[in-house]
Order: sequence, then C-alpha cells, then structure tokens
Amino acid sequence: MQPAILQVKNLHVEFATYGGIVQAVRGVNFDIHQGETLAIVGESGCGKSVSVQAIMGLIPIPPGNITQGAALLNGKNILGLPSREANKFRGVEIAMIFQDPMTSLNPTMTIGNQISETLMVHRGLTHKQALKKAIQLLDQTHIPEAAKRARQYPFEFSGGMLQRAMIAQSLACNPTILIADEPTTALDVTIQAQILALMKELQRTENMSIILITHDLAVVAKMADRVAVMYAGKIVETGKVNDIFYRSSHPYTLGLKNAMPSNQQQKKKQLTPIEGSPPDLFSPPPGCGYFSRCPYSMRICESKPPPDNIVNTTSNQQASCWLQHADAPRIDALNQTSQSDAD
Amino acid sequence: MLLYSIKRLFAGIVTVWFIATATFIAMHQVPGDPLMNDKAVVPEIRKNLQQKYGLDKSTTEQYFIFMGNMLKGDFGISFTQQNRQVNDIIRDHFPVSAALGLLAIFFAALGGILFGALTALYRNRLPDIIIMFLVILGISVPSFVFAALGQLLIVNLNSFMGQSIIPVAGWGSFSHMIMPALVLGLGSMALLTRLMRSSMLEVINEEYIKTAKAKGLSPLRIFYRHQLRNAILPVITVLGPQIAAITTGGFVVELVFAIPGLGRYFVQAVQQLDYTVIMGTTVFYGAFLVLMVILVDIVYGFIDPRVRIN
Repeated sequence: MQPAILQVKNLHVEFATYGGIVQAVRGVNFDIHQGETLAIVGESGCGKSVSVQAIMGLIPIPPGNITQGAALLNGKNILGLPSREANKFRGVEIAMIFQDPMTSLNPTMTIGNQISETLMVHRGLTHKQALKKAIQLLDQTHIPEAAKRARQYPFEFSGGMLQRAMIAQSLACNPTILIADEPTTALDVTIQAQILALMKELQRTENMSIILITHDLAVVAKMADRVAVMYAGKIVETGKVNDIFYRSSHPYTLGLKNAMPSNQQQKKKQLTPIEGSPPDLFSPPPGCGYFSRCPYSMRICESKPPPDNIVNTTSNQQASCWLQHADAPRIDALNQTSQSDAD
Repeated sequence: MLLYSIKRLFAGIVTVWFIATATFIAMHQVPGDPLMNDKAVVPEIRKNLQQKYGLDKSTTEQYFIFMGNMLKGDFGISFTQQNRQVNDIIRDHFPVSAALGLLAIFFAALGGILFGALTALYRNRLPDIIIMFLVILGISVPSFVFAALGQLLIVNLNSFMGQSIIPVAGWGSFSHMIMPALVLGLGSMALLTRLMRSSMLEVINEEYIKTAKAKGLSPLRIFYRHQLRNAILPVITVLGPQIAAITTGGFVVELVFAIPGLGRYFVQAVQQLDYTVIMGTTVFYGAFLVLMVILVDIVYGFIDPRVRIN
C-alpha cells in the first residue's frame, strides 16, 4: 500500500466562548490515500467540520485554537501555518466545497471571475487565459452554455448549478484532495444524486481523493470507500464502508444504523433513536464520550477513555470501545475481536 | 436599466411637486406676510404693494399662478432683497454650497470607508478603540463647535508658520474650502465609519469569505476583491441623503466661515417670510435631494448586479 497523502494525527481544537472553553475536537486521527473517498460521519456538533476547517486553516484564531496535533500533507506538516504559507496548498493541493452554495459564492462577482481568480493567483494566468479555462471547467461540470453562464452572477444560478460551479472552482488547480463539507445538505434529493454522481465522475478522471463530510448514511453508502464515524470530538470507528455498515464494531455506529430508515418492506421494524444527547464539550467526560447513551456501557467506560482497538487487521477496521477488550462481554449485534485475536 | 431610470425620474417629479405644494400650504399657514415690517406701513401703500405682488388674490389663485410660473422655471422676485430674482440668488449662491458640499461628502465618504474598514480589520484593538471614540465625538459634537475649533487650528498653524497658509474664513480659492469642507463632512464621516464598520464585520462572517480563504487567496486580495465591494453597499445607500443633507444643511458652517452659500438665504427667507425665496430654495433643494437619491440608486445598480436586473 502506498503511503497516505494526508495524515491527520491527534488533532485537538478548542474554542474560547463566553461560557468557557469548548473542546470541539479531542484527538482526531485519520489518513487518506490517493484516489479514495473517506467519509466522515457524525451528528451535528461532533467536530467533523471543525476538523477539516482546522486542516485548511479556516478556523478563526481566536476564538479558535489548535492545541495539539499535526496534519501531514505528503509528509509535510500544514497545520497552523501562517496564511502566506497555507496559501501554497489551499486551493492548489487541497480544495474545498461547502454546504450552502447559495451563500458560498461572492454575490457581486461573476461566476467566471470567481473561478478564474484562483487560476490567476496560483497559476499566474492572465485574466483572458484564466477565463477560458474557467469556461472549460464549467463545461466539465456539465453546466450548459458555459460561456454565457461564466458571465452571470450567483443569483442567476439555481442551487444545483451553483454547487456545480463551486466544484468547477475547486478543480481549477487540479487538487489532489477535495474536501466536501456536506456538499448536498442544502440541495433537494434529485439534485443531490446528480452532484454526487458528478463528484464521483470527476474523482475518476482527475484521480482525486475526496474527504466527504456528511450526516447522511445514504450518501456514505453511495460514495465512500472508507468511513470514519465521529462522536463528541473523537473518531469512534473507522473502516471500509462495508465493515462499517455490516460489521459495526462500535455501539454508536450500531445506534446510527438502527436509527436509519430502510426501504425494505418486509423488515417492518420500528426505528430506534439513540436516547439522550451528546456530552457537554465544555467539560467532556473523562471516559468514553458515548458512555451516558450507550446501552452496553460498563463501569470502566465512565472513567477511562477507550483505546483504539484494531478489530480487523486486513481491512484495518478500528473501534475505540472497551467492548473490544478481550475480557468484555460478547454482544451479538456487534462485531467484536475474538478472544484469541485480542491476546 | 433605462426604463428603471425613467420610472425613478417620474416618481421624482411627483415628489418635487408634492414638496412644492406642502411648502406652499405650510408657508401660508404662518401668520403674517412678507409685507409685515418693523415700520408701520400706511394701509394704502400696503394695499398697493399687495396688488403689485398679487397677494390680494385668494390662496388657491396664488397657488396656481405660482405653479404655472414654476413650470416655466420662474420663481419670481424676492420680497426683501431689492430687484433680485430668486433664480439669480440660486444661481449665484448654490454653486458655492454645492462645491463645498461635494468636497465635504468626498472627505466624508473617503474617510468613512477608510476608517470603517480599518476599525473592522483591527476590531477590538487599539486603532479600533481610538477611531470609534472619535466617531462618537464626531456624531455628538455640533458642527459650529468643530467650525470654531477648526478656525483656531488654522490660526495656530498660520502663526506657527509665520505666514498665512490657509485663510481662516472667506471664499475664493481651494484653500478656502478645505477646513469648512472637513468640518461640514465630519458628522457624515463619523456616521459612515460606523456603518462601514458594522457592514465589514457582517461580510467577514459570510460563507463566501471562507470560500475565498479556502481558494488560497491572500488576506489583502480577499479584503479588496471580496469584502470591500459587498461591505460598501449599505454605505452607498445612505450616501444620497447624506449628500443632500450636507449641501443643504451647511448654513451653520457657511456662517462661521463667512462663505456666501445658499443656506444663509434659505434661513433668512424663512425668518422674513420671503415667500418667493422660500418656495424657490425649498423646491430647488427638494429637487436636488430627489436627484441625488436617484443618482445613488443608479450607481447602486452598477455595484450590485442583483439590483440591476430587476
């Protein structure tokens, strides 16, 4: 296996607020390889957006603060760089698209100018050359009449078309990684499918890696190669997409799955919500963040944070849960390491 | 765009007509008339004068005569200044007020946008705190105080240099204009600074600024390509009324600096119930204000594409 192009290690992000310090991200590790799609899933406020924004240097400091960690892009740490340094990779090596395309583009600038701006700054093209390339990019994202559309302003576009334009903009400098922060949340379902298909197509032609942030498990199933499940500022489980869906090894992943509606008629079962609410990140619990909501919680879970256990060595599935310990009780619904494996 | 401008122009004409009518009615409600004088006037003379100026006719009749003349662009002769056409008064003195006002609004807009942007960039740091303190002063201290202080400053400067560099008062050259324009624009500058500051802070939290950052643009480029243009929109909106307020409301400053502007005649006319001058200056100022608002609306269309289309 070739080395990861981006490795995030032990990332900690805090925010100073009037109420105290919020520990939004509390030790996140993940890595991503050439051409793969990593989905980061989790509920609102679990720190998934903050993690990637910290990598991109988009966290305003203060009130934000990156207290620990590293993000190695091809072996070089890019975390917490000053903007002059960060701008060598932002928009060039790593590009990003956002949740709401309606507000993510400058309303007083034409689409064409916004795309060509990136090319002029990073590639030193003239305005004319950059605009020509911008039209090509719009064409590549299947925007009809690209030349005419390039001269229009964001308010003349529909939501789906704007997200295409955002994608075109992010592709300008052929980035190796595209970070998509809930790219389809603000769009309706048919448009959602089109945007996801477009991302997949471009990933193939450009050989890009995609970090996809979402809370929609259906999107994960459609797009991801690997999945990282986040809860209360930590990644609780990572693994191949099939492992996560069919061999869940963390109770939270299981809870998410049980709360997801399925369209298989014969399985007329009720959806089971996860009871309770996430822990207060002003004073996070000393043990496992999921302890108070976990149906299988044990005494150790309250006081000691669980280690990252490798559940499956070949597919590199990991779960940070005490239930993966050799002495833990067996739970049928959960994929656990066998007793002999753990020793 | 053309249709839009024509529509605005038509609405403007209606507004001016309304201003003229309202002023006419209000003016005639005030007790007394222009012929009232400190000295007692013999009833016969008074009657003759009333006949001469048409004041013996009914108010309605006077209204139609006035409106008819106004359409021809004739505001009549001043009651109190001998043999002076109202049009002449406007023609002689408005350019002075306008020149002063435009320079003042130039200072105000430039300073307001610059300082507003600066305070937003240095939010809650020393430059912001100092400028915002000065802004409070600029808004709350009346202009005649600044006018007097400005003159004092000039006097001190001139005596320090040992020669007269900037004249303390009067009219004639560009150097005469600098201090009164600064003083006149100060209030607006303070207002625009506040507006620009809050507008900048609003824009800085917009998603598209984050996008611009993620594109790898330098902070300077984000500032002038993405932030400034969007932040300036609300400032442009108030610029129209501000231009009118400054050019028409400058009479206090004009008085202190002994500038022969139109403002003085306007105030004098109201005091003396000089019907023709009141009507002439009010309608003229009204039309000027309306024109400025329309002009700003059209400029707005150039800056914000969303306004242009609809």
